[in-house]
Amino acid sequence: MRLVIALMLAGMTAQGASYFVTVAGLGGMPEYDKQFADWAAGFDRQFKESGPGAHVITLSGNSATKQRIGEVFSQLAHEVQPGDSFALLLIGHGSFDGVDYKINIPGPDATAGELAAWLNQIPAQRQLVVNMTSCSGASLPALARKDRIVIVATKSGNEKNATVFPRYWLDALHDPAADADKDGNVSALEAFAYTQRKVAAYFESEKLLATEHPMMSDTGNFNAVRDPKPENGQGLLAGSFILMRPEMAENEVTAPAKQKLVAKKDDLEAKIDRLKYQKAAMNPEEYKQQLAALLLELAKIQAEIDE
Amino acid sequence: MRLPALLVFPQLLLVFSPIVLAFAIPDAPRDPAACAALRHYGKLTESRQCYSKLLASSDAFLRAQADAGLEQFEEANEEFRTAARARPASAAVKTEWGKLYLAHQQAGDAGTLFEEAIQADQNYAPAYLGLARVAASRYDKRAADLANQALKIDPKMFEAHELLAHVALEDNDPVLATKEAQAALGISPEALDALGVLASIDWLNGKEPSPWMDRILQVNSAYGEAYATGAHFFEINRRYEQAISYYRKALALNENLWEARSQLGVNLMRLGLNTEAKQQLERCYTAHYRNAETVNSLRFLDTVGDYETFKTANAQLELHKKEAALLRPYMQPELEQAIATYQRKYKMTLPGPVKLQVFPNHDDFIVRTLGLPGQGGLLGVTFGLGVVMDSPSGRAPGDFNWASTMWHELSHVYVLTATHNLVPRWYTEGLAVHEEGAHSPDWGDRMTPEIVAALRKKQLLPVLDLDRGFVRPQYPSQVLVSYFEAGKICDYIAERWGDSAHLGMIRSYANRKTTAEAIRDNLHEAPETFDKDFAAWLDKRTGETVRHFDDWKKGMKEAYADLQSGKKEDAVKQATAVHGYYPDYVGNESYYELTANAMLAMGDSTGAMNVLESYREAGGTSVELLKKLARLETGAGLQKQAGTTLQKIIYVYPEDMDVHRMFSSLLLNSGDANGAVREAQAALALKPTDVAQAHYDLAKAMLAANRPKEARDEVLASLEAAPNFKQAQKLLLQLSPSE
Repeated sequence: MRLVIALMLAGMTAQGASYFVTVAGLGGMPEYDKQFADWAAGFDRQFKESGPGAHVITLSGNSATKQRIGEVFSQLAHEVQPGDSFALLLIGHGSFDGVDYKINIPGPDATAGELAAWLNQIPAQRQLVVNMTSCSGASLPALARKDRIVIVATKSGNEKNATVFPRYWLDALHDPAADADKDGNVSALEAFAYTQRKVAAYFESEKLLATEHPMMSDTGNFNAVRDPKPENGQGLLAGSFILMRPEMAENEVTAPAKQKLVAKKDDLEAKIDRLKYQKAAMNPEEYKQQLAALLLELAKIQAEIDE
Repeated sequence: MRLPALLVFPQLLLVFSPIVLAFAIPDAPRDPAACAALRHYGKLTESRQCYSKLLASSDAFLRAQADAGLEQFEEANEEFRTAARARPASAAVKTEWGKLYLAHQQAGDAGTLFEEAIQADQNYAPAYLGLARVAASRYDKRAADLANQALKIDPKMFEAHELLAHVALEDNDPVLATKEAQAALGISPEALDALGVLASIDWLNGKEPSPWMDRILQVNSAYGEAYATGAHFFEINRRYEQAISYYRKALALNENLWEARSQLGVNLMRLGLNTEAKQQLERCYTAHYRNAETVNSLRFLDTVGDYETFKTANAQLELHKKEAALLRPYMQPELEQAIATYQRKYKMTLPGPVKLQVFPNHDDFIVRTLGLPGQGGLLGVTFGLGVVMDSPSGRAPGDFNWASTMWHELSHVYVLTATHNLVPRWYTEGLAVHEEGAHSPDWGDRMTPEIVAALRKKQLLPVLDLDRGFVRPQYPSQVLVSYFEAGKICDYIAERWGDSAHLGMIRSYANRKTTAEAIRDNLHEAPETFDKDFAAWLDKRTGETVRHFDDWKKGMKEAYADLQSGKKEDAVKQATAVHGYYPDYVGNESYYELTANAMLAMGDSTGAMNVLESYREAGGTSVELLKKLARLETGAGLQKQAGTTLQKIIYVYPEDMDVHRMFSSLLLNSGDANGAVREAQAALALKPTDVAQAHYDLAKAMLAANRPKEARDEVLASLEAAPNFKQAQKLLLQLSPSE
């Protein structure tokens, strides 16, 4: 997986803008109204800081009407290019009546089907939807599509309590701990893993029964998973979808004088990935020795690149 | 409370078929009392035959009682239902039906039926007795009132006196218990349960054999219930080994006393004798005796393999596998320190290693201790040399100080061992609370608003009655208040007479002295004088709070109102003005919380830090506030203070990864590499999201602790998770100079 991610990252840096649309629905009570607006503002701030190529649109409270959302999507349908990346984030109360998922917004609510129709207008080949609302699990069947990562805060439409998911997804965008592979980027996969753990830890520490179980699918499959991994085929696309991308990483890859070293580095990373996949079948000591040798070599190359 | 009269109704006797027994039945009785009489005289087979014969009756009420006598609960229940339809206004039917439910350990349903019986007939004494038994089964203070009400209606009801004797002995009042038992015997010289209480008093006082038991056996040679009664009293006095011995005696007389067998299993489990515990409980289960205590205990015993055991010369620590790596580095040294401290202080060596078991699931802890889940208030329990306690992971962050609980329970281990379990409840609890505060002044029981309310109402008990506050509370918070009072009494003794007075008290109890005698012998004053002097001493420490409690409440309310309307300075002034009335209050919306947050909002971080340090010293345990303090102290370069604060957080919430990371970094910077390793390992044990960073932090600490090989392993683990982690790469190069 590491190899694929590295290659896709390299491709991504040379192309495409990033679009982030955040919709925060009605709270129904002052504290929820404030909470949803605060989260939406937090995402707005984080995405705007994520790089000069970021296009950020945030619809919150009274401005998050169905009409307005439709207008924004119509406009973006003309603006976004196939090589761009597009992310839609939904905050608020969701509902599920056994048939339709809806997000609660001013005026008529928007159904999962309507959300899917809006998203289908967007030409970006790589899309991410993070539905953080209650009952969001019920939106997944309508939203799942090839080349689209769908992340939901609840495993089904029956988890109806207000969610804590957005709080930790927001944290994932600025907490260095979310960058699990320490490559300087936070991918959708890393943000999902971070948020999922934080949500579980929240319920554990508060001694509450968990009322939300985040899930994701990035294969177009309706059967989302809690633990994306090569064995279940989930996570590949999410691992390459970069949410936060510091400039340093781009400099590193694009510096012409270091291209040979970068190629060697990529080769070593691929070897490390392959070795890790063979771990279960290997003698532990042999695995450790081979891994140590490769990691040491990689560290030396990196030191040369950084000189 | 276990009522001996009910022990003869084991459900498992369902396995016998009354039809098989019916062929040998003598002349048909017409009254269930005749069948009960046969049982009373130990003629158990004949009694069953008698009840079986009654099953042929055309009267549903008689058939119901016959089924009940044969422990055929479902059939009995149906017959009672039929009988109640035929005689809806019969208090007798409702009462007998209620007794069936009580025998089936459904006290709530039993209580409803007894109440319905009383509605049907306000003067039906057996219904009041039934309600009294329901209350007694819950240690409810109304038990005695209801039994006396029954006696008022029917002064000849000796069973009510038996119940009063039982309740009195549970209240540790052998004088009253004797009086009530004798009253029962005055009415019925063969009142077996009254004799059982009198025998129990002898046994509790070390008098074995008891002549009262001889008298019981003359009436009923199979009356094992009397030994089970004795076992119950040993059990509630925490003399578990003797309880086990007496349950065995009970079963030797009548192996079908399934409640006694279940209790034997539960008590064996308490002492960690799990193999036999499981055998006894499985025997109950196989015989269809499947009450909640039996089933829960068996379920718990199936989880024993989930625990890891760590042994040292003085202690055996059992931790759940999922949290052993996190907790062991903290709990093992604390356990050793507590043992060493008490060994010096109590001048004694325990006869074996202390066994401490820690449960991450509170219901498992409760099953292990009481046999039934749902006892939310308990944190730790001591059984001989064994201590079981909640894990901090079983409680909300900040709710539970595992270390102070451990010190508390360890004190019990010493005091119970030193007194051969003869110490009264109030004293061992009081001394345990005192020891918490003696080890760390911010531990021990805080003066909560409930305690202030009790002090205002002058609800503290005289020292001679203090046990009652633990066993049969008269108001909802009395157990809490009794812990506080007992703790303060022990503080007072230590302050005025010194620790040696406590050693003297312990010796007195070991020599079977009463509290009155122990006070006279060691403190050289009468208990009444002691109470008076203690009240004056306590008033000096709590009087200001008690007298100004309303002023404090009003002031804090105003301060919070100021805060909500944005007047931060006024809020701080107002809260500070009343803080002196009640500095012990560290709960929600305290002076500390309000003032520190307001000061921070006004940019006064030094002021906030000072307030929060007072909060920490006053025993505040909010993880959020303490973390805030640790950050302020770290920011101000006060590493030692920050370390103290972080350690306090680990005592109440060791599952906080940020705390361990912060502490590891702080210890590394201050040169305590081993401490830094411990904290970094704790962070890793919490299975962090950022695995690479956690291994890297541990690698740095290992390197500082001069453990380069382990440091290299850790940095490789870090890079395995994140091959491009630059800091780790640099460290790997540093650790691999020749490669």
